[in-house]
Amino acid sequence: MIDLKKQGELLSLIGEKIKKKIECYIVGGSAMLYHGVKEETKDVDIVFDEQESKEIFEKVLRDLGFKERDVRIIYFKKRNTPLLLQRGEERIDLFIKKVITFEITESMKARVEKVYEYGNLIVKAVSPEDIILFKCATERAGDRIDASNIIKNFKIKWNVIIEEALNQTKLESYLFPVYLYDFLEELKEDFKADIPNEVLRKIRKISEDLLVKKLKKKKK
Amino acid sequence: MKESIEPILRKLEGLNTIDLIAKKLNVKESTAIKKIHELRKFGHVETSGGGKQPRLYRVYRNKIVKIGNPGLYDIINKNSPVKISRPYEERIVGRKLSIEEALIRAIKTEKYRVILASLALFNKVKDIPKLYKLAKKEDVRRKLGALYEVARNTIRTKKINEKHLRLMLKAKNEKAFIVPKVKSKDFKDIENKWRVYIPFNKQDLWRLKE
Repeated sequence: MIDLKKQGELLSLIGEKIKKKIECYIVGGSAMLYHGVKEETKDVDIVFDEQESKEIFEKVLRDLGFKERDVRIIYFKKRNTPLLLQRGEERIDLFIKKVITFEITESMKARVEKVYEYGNLIVKAVSPEDIILFKCATERAGDRIDASNIIKNFKIKWNVIIEEALNQTKLESYLFPVYLYDFLEELKEDFKADIPNEVLRKIRKISEDLLVKKLKKKKK
Repeated sequence: MKESIEPILRKLEGLNTIDLIAKKLNVKESTAIKKIHELRKFGHVETSGGGKQPRLYRVYRNKIVKIGNPGLYDIINKNSPVKISRPYEERIVGRKLSIEEALIRAIKTEKYRVILASLALFNKVKDIPKLYKLAKKEDVRRKLGALYEVARNTIRTKKINEKHLRLMLKAKNEKAFIVPKVKSKDFKDIENKWRVYIPFNKQDLWRLKE
């Protein structure tokens, strides 16, 4: 398990070794460490906007003794899976632009609340709303618990979540609101997360409309 | 302990004054002060203001995670009479951002208010050769020289020696706009000398004199 201190030490080390300034987005449990809602995380999830930045980062990790792991162990047969690098207990998942069914967008970048500079490495921690959306996309063990903890600890701007889900439909993940509805419904049912019924109703309506549209297209 | 302060945190989340805290919790002012002290001890409160300004308490439901040192916006707010709002929290880990670096970063933002507020940093600069070196690296030497002259006409600044000013003036292939598409009506002489466009008029600078 990695705590904030260990994560900071690792990122500082990487930042020192990188020659050129690069930016990345930290999502998932590692972003929750920065927001103060989690003590430890299993892995550090990092998303890059550019292939070159990811390659620079990856090379440093390999130089530091990180070894590639089979991605299917954690992500099975999902799309847009990360490069999994591990050294002892430290695991880092590297994504480019897309995290399974979720893609980083300009609006998501604008919502970044915390920026940390570790030497030449600029780390941007995404907002609590975006962590929920990423958790919905990855759906690994523990993601639901994390999402319900975020809902418990933050005043979630639900309109942001709805707007971003709609944004995703214009990109690769046309049915993202459908997955989101299932995810939030489960959080409400199984984890008693405080999600307004109105929000669920809205996402359900969006999902139904999308499915109907898709079916009509298929018939044609 | 977290459980017992949870309802108080929910009630107070956001920006508060002592009056407001007393009202929200329905307690006396002295009790409100004790409560906020307790919350600060557990890392849920950030304080700002004081002196002539009202003291403000920002209460967070989660523990505030503070790592590293202040970033550009915090350094400007600490050193300038013109305050700017942070678009995000920025922390520099493992070292401190120097005034010289902050000044160059402010110019690189190309944002009107950030650059205006950063002019006050010209009085806090300690290492002129370092400032010049950074400006050269970031291709903002003429912008830096022009802004220095604007600042020096308005407020007290550290003096940049002739040698460095000459070197700044010689810089080639640098962009002309400090803030995209914004020109000055009042600083034409400085604009012509440095071949850059100053984004301010004289009236914009009065706040720096406060």
